Amino acid sequence: MRLILGLDRPTAGTALIGGVPYHEIRDPLRTVGALLDARALHPGRSGHAHLVALARSNGIPRRRVAEVLEVVGLAGAARQRAGTLSLGMSQRLGIAAALLGDPEVLMFDEPVNGLDPDGVRWVRGLVRSLAGEGRTVFVSSHLMSEMQLTADHLVVIGKGRLIKDAPLAEVIAGSSLTAVVVRTPHARELAVRLRGAGIEVTRSGESDLLATGAPIERIGDLAHEAGIRLHELRTREASLEQAYQELTEQGVEYGAGRAGA
Amino acid sequence: MRALWQAMGAEWAKVWSVRSTWWCLAAAAVVQVLGAVTLGGATATEAMRGEGPVAPVTASEPVVSATSFTQFALVALAMLTITAEYASGSIRPALQAVPVRGVLLAAKALVVSPVMVVAGVLSGAVATAAVWLLLSADLFGGLVEAPAGEVAADLLGVGAYYALVSVMTLGAGAALRSAAGTLTVVFMLLMGLPLMLLMTGSQVALEASSRMPMFAGLAFMDSAENLTGGPMPYSAGEGLAWLLAWTAAALAAGHAVLRRRDA
Repeated sequence: MRLILGLDRPTAGTALIGGVPYHEIRDPLRTVGALLDARALHPGRSGHAHLVALARSNGIPRRRVAEVLEVVGLAGAARQRAGTLSLGMSQRLGIAAALLGDPEVLMFDEPVNGLDPDGVRWVRGLVRSLAGEGRTVFVSSHLMSEMQLTADHLVVIGKGRLIKDAPLAEVIAGSSLTAVVVRTPHARELAVRLRGAGIEVTRSGESDLLATGAPIERIGDLAHEAGIRLHELRTREASLEQAYQELTEQGVEYGAGRAGA
Repeated sequence: MRALWQAMGAEWAKVWSVRSTWWCLAAAAVVQVLGAVTLGGATATEAMRGEGPVAPVTASEPVVSATSFTQFALVALAMLTITAEYASGSIRPALQAVPVRGVLLAAKALVVSPVMVVAGVLSGAVATAAVWLLLSADLFGGLVEAPAGEVAADLLGVGAYYALVSVMTLGAGAALRSAAGTLTVVFMLLMGLPLMLLMTGSQVALEASSRMPMFAGLAFMDSAENLTGGPMPYSAGEGLAWLLAWTAAALAAGHAVLRRRDA
């Protein structure tokens, strides 16, 4: 994210936003709003003054300051010196700064850090609604459960290498832990049938099977053809956490090591 | 140009939204007035004792000499506009808003300089009035005069000197990033090194020290008391040229580091 924003210099390659390097964007806060580090505030300056300075630097009308403070629920504390704000309040101020220019691209680095459960839910809703308005929202996080609830598309990077770049649903479907759960009194018979059709099956109990590598419809059809009664047939999805672990373990094999998403 | 103008608006808002600015300006005003009154009193006393030429003191003359002390309060103000951003990390939001680094540095310099000119002229005017009031008293024999043209030129010179030293500090701050490092380097450039050079007593060292920023500034402001114990070895114009050269060098160093190093 720091490379995209031109804060750091890449050792190789370029980062473009809409085909343009960040520093060439006129009034960049109107195109890209980013929150990298909520604590990056002058402790003696009020949140309000911080936002006023940012607004002036990009020709953003001053009324936007009050608007975004209202959106993040910080209107009451905006005149306090930033050094007296809690981490959660700084986080809200950082989000307000990102929203200031009403940008089409938003970038948040660990946005739920330091927020209480209500705050976490609020950020989740905000991120979804910003995306729903047609904006691109780029969130980096180590919280896989949080990402599973908010993300549409995943980019997994480990040690500077791209490990995965795919829609969330595809990543989860691709996990070996995503399987079809079958409960039937004729488990052994069905297992033989399914294996015969080239489907990987493991028995997880007296009358329980786990089938991977085939859609639920195919397994239902095969059971029907064989005249086998089913008591349960459902898809069990891997969590993003599990899918992520599989991805990064593969990454280890390729020498990519520990990864972050 | 539009980006620069907007960035200047942001820097202006930033300068006036922290308390340290007001503290530094207040400190500068106090030191300016007290320093000028003390130096003026000393000059007048020497004259009365017959230790110096018995001629009226120009009221703004001790004000020019007092810049040697006053400048450090204003150096602190200029320094904080950049080092406080690095200390708090707010340099990153600042660069997100103004990603062309030269524009950010130029905006800071263009906002700090006029503030310094106004601070120098205003505090200098008050100090001049204080010196005049004190020295016109019978105790000092009334050996004081205040020709308007000369006073105005002195005060403008003081303002310009503060502006240039502040921009030099800003450049050093951008290059060094830390407050402690910047203050040390600027103090050494302004006072430490030239005084050490003077103490060596050699002619070469004297010539060198008189071309460092503070003495160059005193020459530019046409000070009679320039700490070298005699008149400056060159003209006011050359003093300004040396001062500008130091400022430009510091600013160029700051810009080079700001552009190349990760924020």
